[in-house]
Amino acid sequence: MFGLIGHSTSFEDAKRKASMLGFDHIADGDLDVWCSAPPQLVENVEVKSATGISIEGSYIDSCFVPEMLSRFKTARRKVLNAMELAQKKGINITALGGFTSIIFENFNLLQHKQIRNTSLEWERFTTGNTHTAWVICKQLESNAPKVGIDLKKATVAVVGATGDIGSAVCRWLTNKTGIRELLMVARQQDPLLSLQKELNAGRITSLDEALPLADIVVWVASMPKTIEIDTQKLQNPCLMIDGGYPKNLDEKFKGKEIYVLKGGIVEFFSDIGWNMMELAEMENPQREMFACFAEAMILEFEKCHTNFSWGRNNITLEKMEFIGAASEKHGFSAIGLDKQINPLPV
Amino acid sequence: MQTIESSKNADIQITSEDNPINLPDFSTEAYKDAYSRINAIVIEGEQEAHDNYISIASLLPNESDELTKLAKMELKHKKGFTACGRNLGVEADMIFAKKFFSKLHGNFKVALENGNLTTCLLIQAILIEAFAISAYHVYIRVADPFAKKITQGVVKDEYLHLNYGQEWLKANLKTCKDELMQANKANLPLIKKMLDEVADDASALAMDREELMEEFMIAYQDTLLEIGLDNREIARMAMAAIV
Repeated sequence: MFGLIGHSTSFEDAKRKASMLGFDHIADGDLDVWCSAPPQLVENVEVKSATGISIEGSYIDSCFVPEMLSRFKTARRKVLNAMELAQKKGINITALGGFTSIIFENFNLLQHKQIRNTSLEWERFTTGNTHTAWVICKQLESNAPKVGIDLKKATVAVVGATGDIGSAVCRWLTNKTGIRELLMVARQQDPLLSLQKELNAGRITSLDEALPLADIVVWVASMPKTIEIDTQKLQNPCLMIDGGYPKNLDEKFKGKEIYVLKGGIVEFFSDIGWNMMELAEMENPQREMFACFAEAMILEFEKCHTNFSWGRNNITLEKMEFIGAASEKHGFSAIGLDKQINPLPV
Repeated sequence: MQTIESSKNADIQITSEDNPINLPDFSTEAYKDAYSRINAIVIEGEQEAHDNYISIASLLPNESDELTKLAKMELKHKKGFTACGRNLGVEADMIFAKKFFSKLHGNFKVALENGNLTTCLLIQAILIEAFAISAYHVYIRVADPFAKKITQGVVKDEYLHLNYGQEWLKANLKTCKDELMQANKANLPLIKKMLDEVADDASALAMDREELMEEFMIAYQDTLLEIGLDNREIARMAMAAIV
């Protein structure tokens, strides 16, 4: 069995979703009620791979909402309780979706192994970051030529270069794509220097410096709310891959020949017959999903019951190749620009 | 569209210093004062659990041995918690605790007199058990070393013994569901009130009201799922906790 731990994109959205699913006591509650709400296993689903293998899985809503981010203890409990539920249900491999993996890592939840009478087994969980990183790289490789960008001549900026996904993307771009130049942007300088040393490539720049130079920008970090971007100064064409969570880049980059692609989203080859991705506002909810979720499915298809993506900066090229090949074999493909309005209206 | 300034790789602005749980100072007067009531509730709760299981045995004479065994275990727990208070030099406020349980106790008594076994089991085996185990889970994280050991032992016992009431309700769900729902509607709001009533004292012991409520809901939901109710039925039942 595979599992997906997800959450709503906002408190309002969560209430709507709960009401739809018949969880009226939570739907009618205020944020305090949600803070005390247990995780819910809301859907069971059967998925058949392109190879014919069938697997079963469950979607668990942690009842976390982004409004709880400032409540450290609440956010921690939401994640750990959802993980405990997944383990108690006997799920072999569960992906930590949305903010779940961010909270797990940034709040250092590794030290909270014991949840009530359950000792969490980390090998049952994956952040799904390896697949997300691979999908973003594939999206970059296949969509750049479509908008007239020649990768061999392209300057690519990775914003959030030192994170788990960002560093994996930099590794792949340097070793596998032959791009002309890699610009690496991140808040902290020390990890950037280490990454540059590891790759023996890449130029460390500020965001302001990188944006006008980049033909392609991969965003795997948040954009400061207050940032003002002069789209006139960007390259034409310019491909923006929104690999962060939540996906809100298209608000900032509206302009002729600016192509914004939702990064880290995959499409399955057939309809899945679930409700949860509709609620995650996917364009084709029967087939599209976050790549991190798909990683749990792929690992279950492959009977690879291990915490494949775990910790920070452990994503190797070999792991990306493994998950990528398995992803294609079982019927997943990265969504491309042809799925979206192209280019975005001015 | 989201406005949260964060993403997969962004650092949430919380540092690891916030992470370790800070234990309270067990020696302050404020702590001991709050402890005198919380400790009394726990002692009284275990005593009532003992008495309730003995009473339930009168409705199920064939199961008397099993229920008596269960009742004895609750008394053992009571002794353990009494020792926790003594260890801190605190005298448990038993008058407060008796009053604290009086409404729930009254409802149990009426159900017993009317032979309403389902209601008795809901009160003791679902509500009080979930209330106790959830509070113990939260307490273990912030207890003094002596009490922590005792409470861990109690929790271990609770997981090891068969929840007799749960098993009976599961086996008889078809015939007892209506009474279960009705009894829940009458008694679950009492649990919420009881939690609210001790929220300040619990907070003095570093036990968050929010966490207590969540732990209770988890235990409550787990038991109802085990009995065989589905998610929507449980959701309807849980409604009673917030109205």
